[in-house]
Amino acid sequence: MNRSDLITKESTFGIINHWALAISCIVLTISGFGFLFQIQGIGSAFSGFPAMKVVHNWTGVVFTASLFLSMFNWLKESLTFDSDDIGWILTAGGYLSHKAKVPPMHKLNTGQKFFYLTLLVSGFAIAATGFIIWLMPENKSMLVLSHFIHNVSFIVITAFIPVHIYLSTLGNPGTLRIMITGKIPYWWAKKKHPKWVRELEEGHGN
Amino acid sequence: MARASLLISPELCIGCRACQIACKSWNQLPGDKTVNRGSFENPADLTPDLYNKIRFVEVPSENNPVRWLFVSQRCMHCDDAGCMKICPAPGALYKTKEGAVAFNKDKCIGCKLCSSACPFNVPRYDKNDKVSKCNLCADRIANNMAPACAKTCPTGAISFGDRDALISKAQKAGYAAVYGQADLGGLGAIYAFHDAPKLYGLADKPVIPEMVVFWHKYLKPLSWIGIGGTAALMLLHYVAIGPKKDQEDKDDE
Ligand code: HEM
Ligand code: SF4
Ligand code: SF4
Repeated sequence: MNRSDLITKESTFGIINHWALAISCIVLTISGFGFLFQIQGIGSAFSGFPAMKVVHNWTGVVFTASLFLSMFNWLKESLTFDSDDIGWILTAGGYLSHKAKVPPMHKLNTGQKFFYLTLLVSGFAIAATGFIIWLMPENKSMLVLSHFIHNVSFIVITAFIPVHIYLSTLGNPGTLRIMITGKIPYWWAKKKHPKWVRELEEGHGN
Repeated sequence: MARASLLISPELCIGCRACQIACKSWNQLPGDKTVNRGSFENPADLTPDLYNKIRFVEVPSENNPVRWLFVSQRCMHCDDAGCMKICPAPGALYKTKEGAVAFNKDKCIGCKLCSSACPFNVPRYDKNDKVSKCNLCADRIANNMAPACAKTCPTGAISFGDRDALISKAQKAGYAAVYGQADLGGLGAIYAFHDAPKLYGLADKPVIPEMVVFWHKYLKPLSWIGIGGTAALMLLHYVAIGPKKDQEDKDDE
C-alpha cells in the first residue's frame, strides 16, 4: 500500500448515521435552550413556541432512532479497552503537550470511546425522559422527575458537543473528511490507528 | 393598584356556589356533566371548565353529628409561582401588575409541565391541551371591577381588594394567622379561618417540588456554564497549546 492510498474508516451508513445524529442533536440543543430560558429569538426562528414544541418532539424521534442505530456503528469498538487506554488517559491523548508519547490506538481513541459511551447513556436518558414528558404528563411525580433527568442529561450532552466538534475539526485538522468521504490516507491511519491497521493487514479487521 | 388579592373567609361561606356559577358565566365556561357522588360538592375537582370550586368538607364534631365546611378552591396567584418557573413558553403564563397569574392560550405549548410544579394542583388543560385556570378575572381587574366570584358572593366570604388592607382587616377581625400571608412569597388568594389548614384541604406549608426548585436554581445556570465553559476551554486549547498538526512526517513508518 502506498502512503497516500485511501482506506475506508467510516461506512456510508456510518456517515449518514452520524449526520442524522449530529443535526438532530443540534436542533434539539438550540430549541432546548429556547425552552429552558424562554428565548424569544429562538422561538421566533421556529415561527413560535407552539411550533417549536412540535419540531422539538419530532426531532427527538430522529435523534432517538439515530442513537439506536449508532450502536451498530460504534458500540462494539467503544466497549473494547486495554492497557493502552490507561496510557492514553495518562498522556491526556497528547492534547496537553505535543511531545507526549501517546500509546497506539485502535479505530477510535480512548477519548472518542468515552465520548460515545457518555453520549449513548445520556442520549437514551434524555430520549426516554423526553418521551415521558411528551406522551404521559398525567403522572405528576414522574413528570417532575423526567423533567429533572432531561435537564441533567442535557447539561452532559451539550457540554461535550464543543469538545467533540473542536477535536474533529480545528483541533485535529483533516479529521472532518472521515465523516464526509469516509476515507483517510494510509499514512494517517497508520499513525493514528496503528492497531486497527495492523488488524486490517492481518486480515481480520473491520 | 398595589398587589391585589382575594380574601377568602370560609367561616362566612354558606356553600351556595354563586361564585362558582358567576365564574363560569364571566369566563364563558360550559357546564361539566356531573354525577351523584353522595355529596353536594360538584364537580369533584377543578376541571378545564371550572376555575373556582367550592369544596365541601364534612368534619366530625363534638356538638353536632358533623361540621360542614365550605371553601373556595382555585389558583392561589402565588408570588413565587411554580407554574411560571417551569413554563417553557414566554407569555403563556404571566403576572399582571396587580399580581394575578394569568394565561394566554395562544402562547401555551400544551406541555403540561405547570401542573407538576404547582403546589396546589391547580392547572388543568382544555381539549387542545392548553392551560386553563383562574386568572383572577385579570380582564375585569384591568377595568376596575372585582373578580366575578367576589362580586357575586352574598356573604362576603370572598372579598377582593388591596392585599395589605385585606390582611389587616382579617387580623382586626381576630384571625392572627392568615393562610398564605407569607407562603411562596405571599399568595394572591389568602384565607382567614381558625381551624387547621388541612381541614380545608390545604397544605400546612405549601411548597414547590424540591426538584423543580433545584432545577431552577442550579441546573438552568449549569446548562450555560457547561456548553460555554467547554467551548471556552477548546478556544483556550487552540490558542495556548494548539491543534495537532499531523503532517505526513518522514519517521512514521
Ligand atoms: C457539526 C458538528 C460536528 C462535526 C464537525 C463532527 C465531526 C465528527 C467526526 C469528524 C467524527 C469522526 C471521528 C473519527 O472517526 O476519528 C465524528 C464522530 C462521531 N460524532 Fe460527530 N461531529 C459533529 C457533531 C456531532 C454531534 C452533535 C454528535 C452527537 C450528538 C456527534 C456524535 C458523534 C459520534 C457518536 C461519533 C463516533 C464516535 C466518536 O468519534 O467518538 N457528532 N464526528
Ligand atoms: S396556585 Fe399553582 S397555578 Fe396558581 S399561581 Fe400558584 S403555582 Fe401557579
Ligand atoms: S402547559 Fe402551557 S402554561 Fe403550562 S407550562 Fe406548558 S406552556 Fe406553560
